[in-house]
Amino acid sequence: MVKVDPEFKEELKKYGRSDFLSACFNCGVCTAVCPYAGESSNLPMKIIRYAQLGLKDKILQSTEPWLCYYCGECSASCPRGVEPGEVVMTIRRYLTSKYDWTGFSRRIYTSKIAEIISASLLAFVTAIVIWLLHGPIVTGRVQLETFAPAHIVDMGDMVIGIFLAVLLLSNLYRMYRFTVISRLGGKGIPLQRYIIELKHVIVQFLTQIRYSQCKIKRNWINHLVLMWGYTTVFILTVVFLRLYLTNEWYPITNPIRIAGYFSFIALAYGTVYAMIGRIKKDEPFRRYSHPTDWMFLWLLFLTAITGIMVHAFKYLNMPLATYVTFSIHLCIVVPLLALEVPFAKWAHLAYRPFAIYFDKLASSSI
Amino acid sequence: MTETLNYDVVVIGGGIAGMQASLDLADMGFTVLLVEKEPSIGGKMFLLSKTFPTLDCASCISTPKMAAVSHNPLITVWTYSEVDGIFREEDGEFRVKIIKKPRFVDEAKCTGCEQCEDACPIIVSSENNFNLIGRKAAYIPFETAVPKIALIDMDHCILCGACERVCPADAIDFLQKPKTVDVRAGAIILATGFRLFPAERKKEYHFGEYKNVITAMQAERLLSPTNPYNHVLRPLDGKEPMNVAYILCVGSRDRTIGNPLCSRICCMYSIKQAELLMGALPLVDVTIYYMDIRAFGKGFEEFYQQAKEMGVRFVRGRVASIDQLDNGDLVVNYTDVENGGVFKKETHDLVVLSVGIWPNPDVAKLFKDERLELDEHGWIKQTEENIRPNATNIPGVFTAGCATGPKDIPDSIVDATSAAAECADYLRRIRNKAVGVIPVEVR
Repeated sequence: MVKVDPEFKEELKKYGRSDFLSACFNCGVCTAVCPYAGESSNLPMKIIRYAQLGLKDKILQSTEPWLCYYCGECSASCPRGVEPGEVVMTIRRYLTSKYDWTGFSRRIYTSKIAEIISASLLAFVTAIVIWLLHGPIVTGRVQLETFAPAHIVDMGDMVIGIFLAVLLLSNLYRMYRFTVISRLGGKGIPLQRYIIELKHVIVQFLTQIRYSQCKIKRNWINHLVLMWGYTTVFILTVVFLRLYLTNEWYPITNPIRIAGYFSFIALAYGTVYAMIGRIKKDEPFRRYSHPTDWMFLWLLFLTAITGIMVHAFKYLNMPLATYVTFSIHLCIVVPLLALEVPFAKWAHLAYRPFAIYFDKLASSSI
Repeated sequence: MTETLNYDVVVIGGGIAGMQASLDLADMGFTVLLVEKEPSIGGKMFLLSKTFPTLDCASCISTPKMAAVSHNPLITVWTYSEVDGIFREEDGEFRVKIIKKPRFVDEAKCTGCEQCEDACPIIVSSENNFNLIGRKAAYIPFETAVPKIALIDMDHCILCGACERVCPADAIDFLQKPKTVDVRAGAIILATGFRLFPAERKKEYHFGEYKNVITAMQAERLLSPTNPYNHVLRPLDGKEPMNVAYILCVGSRDRTIGNPLCSRICCMYSIKQAELLMGALPLVDVTIYYMDIRAFGKGFEEFYQQAKEMGVRFVRGRVASIDQLDNGDLVVNYTDVENGGVFKKETHDLVVLSVGIWPNPDVAKLFKDERLELDEHGWIKQTEENIRPNATNIPGVFTAGCATGPKDIPDSIVDATSAAAECADYLRRIRNKAVGVIPVEVR
């Protein structure tokens, strides 16, 4: 039994531009030009058809939307101007909100105001926490280690880390239930498959090799640089925090310093590139921007800029400016992590590699 | 040198619609000047093989019409002539400026013996055969041309004088110049027709680059009684095709090239060609890739079903791209929509692009004192589409045939007759002339 929801098209409109959907007459050009079609999926026509018919359950069971990297070939060749790539993008947003059990994701995707208020609120709370917990302010020279004692930052890291892990893992479990369990129909998967197929998650996360199947390789490289940028920052701030957040000046050849430079340049470059692209609408996948796309880019961009500024002020030996910028930096990082990773655009860092994993799992039993 | 002539109507375009409108108006007693820019009247219809869905011979229907037009005492035919401007006179009538292009052959002397054609050493692509074969620089457009007079293609002529030496009528005249003539007319009929979609614009089909990708108009020539190869052969290597693909809606219903309109004809002419191909090559396999089959007219659906029963394979799915193999065979990439929606590749030895039809928006530039309204797609706008379909926004200017949008042959003829009636009514009021020999009096 398949349930048809005639209201689905209206519901989808809140998640992005999908109003061209009804123009589709199923000619199949989108699938014939798609670099991902043919192997196991019939992207994007299958998804478009599900959306057109309002087959919500089928969409929830599909991993295909995550296997699309939105190169825009389909949108460029569609004779009806349906913008299949944009429809699949919209469905990715819809799925993000469905995997999230708290319902918060749906809120921020469907309401710009809710999104801005939550981001501001998180920034405000962070500011208060910094106000209450910051260490002694040394004005003679820059003493970031004293202003932000490592044990407190560690605690903050832990709180945010646990918060993110719980949400992301529980959402991934829901995704697993929707895309694997529901498709198995009671059949089991041998345990070793779970372990063997895990390699896809690691390979895909680190190389995003599937993205390279798109015709224009530049987008894959840019995305990879951006991803390596924030992964490096993540490792620096979580694993090497005590080495990273320090008053000491490392020589220019120090790996920590090099890694720091690399990551912030990568973040600043990647976000500026993406923002200019979204303003110019130069590629099909940047033509229609959802408010959450902009929020994500702005937060990431400001994170990079304030991070660079902290370093600059520290270099110029301006203690007060360093502390203030550092606080602002944290007030941006916290909403960026707490909003985007579990609830919004950044969740794709987990859903994309795991979609491949779940897809392999679901097909390995049948 | 300019001379001023007077006609009741100037009909622009000598295709099937222009010929029909001229004949109808002449039958009602009006004098007609038919202006055609090509060297012969006839338009595109007689280049076709057969008409759908009746499978009547297209040239057998159009050739008698061409003869009737040229022999009608009330119709003057100016071929190889172009309208340069249409002006509104103070008394409300039109002044039409026409350029008679030089043929470099004296029309009065030429007998159409074709000796110049045999003597000419220059070979260029033949427009009337859509580049499938060549023609000479001194040539007669085709066997049944009206008028059957030779002309010299000065763009390619090397002035060797071979034609002049063999011409028995002494008709070659290299000194001819374009002649501008002003004509007074009470009304204008625009029968400017359509142009075929330039298939090179769909880059993914590589028309022009892959020689075995041809347009449906080329396929019409291969299937017509005046087939340039005398047999159905594929252009690259002259092999007899055994597995032919048709791709429908090329240049129609496609926003990527800016035309959302249906051509109204490509479904049916492709089905017709598929049937004719099976007649010409009994062992051939024909596959038609379609989005929908729009068999809307009388007998169309039956024609479609008949093709299916004859063994034509219909595959639902728009072809995304074509690749060429080393032996000249072609691989089409498509999605098999009706069988699981999966991506497929299939090899054919000849691919026919069923091209759509596009407007001739340049017709609007002919009007110098008024502005002819076009619709959003570039066709002439029918300002009163539902009640006077042949009227334009300019009083006294009427349309016939495909000038206002895609039509098949019977519809174009009906439209032309309707235009003639509409025009006659207008002329009766403007020129106070009775229709035909029967005086009309309305009480």
